[in-house]
Amino acid sequence: MKKSRTAALAVVGAMSVALALSGCSSSSGSTSSGPVTLQLWTGFTGGDRPGYAQIVKDFNASHKDVQVKLTVESWDTITQKLPSAWLTGSGPDIAAPSSDPNAIADYVKTNSLLPITNTGSGDSKINTSDLIKSTIDEYTYNGKLYAVPANYTTLSLYYNKKLFAAAGITNPPTTVAEMATDAQKLTKGGVYGISLADNATIQMWPVLQWLEGGDIVNSNNCSVVQTAAGQKSLETWANLVAKDKVSPVGQTGAQADSLFSAGKAAMEINGPWAAPGYKSAGIDLGIATIPTGVDGKSVTLGSTAPLAISAKTKYPKQAQEFLAYYTSKAVQKKFSLTTGFPSVRTDLNDDPQIKADPTISTFSSQEADARLYLPKVPNATKVDTDGETTLIGQITRGTSIATATKAAQSTINGLTGCSQ
Amino acid sequence: MTSEITGTAPSRVTRGGAVPPASAESPARRRRRRPRIAPWLFMAPSAIILGVFVLFPIVRSLYYSFFDWTVGASTQPFVGFGNYIKLFHDSQFWNALRVTLEYTVVSVVLLLVLGFITALLLQGESLANRIVRSVFFFPTIVSLVTIGMVWKFLLDPSIGLVDGLAATLGLPSVAWLTSVHLALPTVIFVGVWKSTGFAMILFIAGLKGVPQERYEASNLDGAGRWQTIWSITLPSIRPTLLFTSLILTIQSFQVFDLVYVMTGGGPLYATDSLVNLLYRDGFVNFQTGYASAISWVLFAIIMIISLLQLRLFRYNDVD
Repeated sequence: MKKSRTAALAVVGAMSVALALSGCSSSSGSTSSGPVTLQLWTGFTGGDRPGYAQIVKDFNASHKDVQVKLTVESWDTITQKLPSAWLTGSGPDIAAPSSDPNAIADYVKTNSLLPITNTGSGDSKINTSDLIKSTIDEYTYNGKLYAVPANYTTLSLYYNKKLFAAAGITNPPTTVAEMATDAQKLTKGGVYGISLADNATIQMWPVLQWLEGGDIVNSNNCSVVQTAAGQKSLETWANLVAKDKVSPVGQTGAQADSLFSAGKAAMEINGPWAAPGYKSAGIDLGIATIPTGVDGKSVTLGSTAPLAISAKTKYPKQAQEFLAYYTSKAVQKKFSLTTGFPSVRTDLNDDPQIKADPTISTFSSQEADARLYLPKVPNATKVDTDGETTLIGQITRGTSIATATKAAQSTINGLTGCSQ
Repeated sequence: MTSEITGTAPSRVTRGGAVPPASAESPARRRRRRPRIAPWLFMAPSAIILGVFVLFPIVRSLYYSFFDWTVGASTQPFVGFGNYIKLFHDSQFWNALRVTLEYTVVSVVLLLVLGFITALLLQGESLANRIVRSVFFFPTIVSLVTIGMVWKFLLDPSIGLVDGLAATLGLPSVAWLTSVHLALPTVIFVGVWKSTGFAMILFIAGLKGVPQERYEASNLDGAGRWQTIWSITLPSIRPTLLFTSLILTIQSFQVFDLVYVMTGGGPLYATDSLVNLLYRDGFVNFQTGYASAISWVLFAIIMIISLLQLRLFRYNDVD
């Protein structure tokens, strides 16, 4: 009796130790001689998700010795889990760390990434010269390439044909001045001329600033929002929003999208992922290229997510093989045609089938005029949230441009380390 | 007060029931000692889990707060009180502290008042009372995240139900969550809406504990309704009042879920609470050291305010 009780107590104690330890045990990959399994994490949850899943499925079918396991979670989750996962060696072999290309800089700093060496021509290599050049520049540090683009697209101008017709406007605007006039004309009866978002969003305001001849930082990473040109570039749209109420103030990306898909806004600047939702919401949708800016030139935002390999992967060769497959011409063409997204390759733009698709061609035709947002700017994420987002939030709520840009300039320069 | 404690505490001798023998190892004593392992073993699972998942992280966060600790960085330099000094000069911290204080003061006062009033009205045990009570209590059992999401949709100025109702009444749509002036009051409203039922239940429990004779006595003395509430009810439920305000204060100071879901701290940091700031610095910007410093300052503030509340209600006094 007494003995059994002691034994029971011992079991309780042992169990508790086991329970506590199980929380920190690290699982190791299988060492059996079967096919190699590569873990892949991405945050592609939108309408393009099936396209990425198809790439993985096709790869697995054609590569018996390497199997890729795709895990899709929200960008928030990936951004939170990945740094510690990669540092402790328990993370995935390959991942798209963030939809923010600047994320690569941080991972390079912590030596978390494998330099990509399998480049060259032919289907088994990564054809870097055929991939969007700005992304390859963005992902190259000290002469070494650390990622390939997992996707690449430009932003276009979405417009509601029904609302345009009701306002007596026949065509989408072709210049930024026309866009401003149209936005005013379309704002009436509970409808906004344009749906602008300034936080938690794909960047719409930088496009407007570029169109009006301004920018956020110069090539030395010093803020230029307070310069004469910088202040002037903010004036038109800040006034249109603050005084003429052409757009609600302070919207997140999701709110801006729902306003447009509810038929309560006539225009929006957005990427191809938004098109299926708007169509199924019954919007008589038009997609046009971004109007030309005050200097007569076109400019839009290039949006990309990187695809990188963990420095601690056990299968660097196979992981690079997957990247080569992922970025290859045939695979990207199939992806583009099934998802309506432009591809990460420049040599597909002339492909007759892709050219024939009006949505893809609208987005891919602007590639030459697209700029990445804050490329290689130190602390880019904070420059965006504390500098740009705050600046736009203030001027659209009526703070004077001089006051707001002064504060933004000092915040941004403090973050980028610019001293002038 | 102190004499009471020493006076009633049983001595070892009386508890053992016998004077221990002078010799070291009597058989009786050996038998008594063995089972003493049992409590420890039974406590072990909780103690280990608590140690690994609560105590260790707490100690660790204090340690981090003295370093410029960035997740993933190759070096984690020691900065002493650097993070705390930086905090002192950080306008975002002061903004978050102001927002948190506003949120806490307004919420706690409203909750105490509304909780007490609803408790007075609904303390009876009739069926109607029970039903209304359940309705009031219902939001308490729903997760804050769910409530935040639902209210966010309800208040959306373009697609929300509130906007739709306003439109049918000919009222303009209001940017409840994107206006710098309205966002915090709106979040406070939702927080109060959720927790009123909780405060009410605590007060009802307190009210049930008030001896009926006191009411009868005050009735005999000819006290009016308000006088009874002021002179009998409120003093009698002082422990409940203290407990409720303490719990609500601590809860409000740690407001995060609601803010994170409804506004994300925006617009322009108008609803950026301390925990939201802590979350952003720690889990978005990976500045663990700085975030740890914020959490310890938050802890200190809650500690001080709780002590003040205890003092205010003179809880140490003999009732």
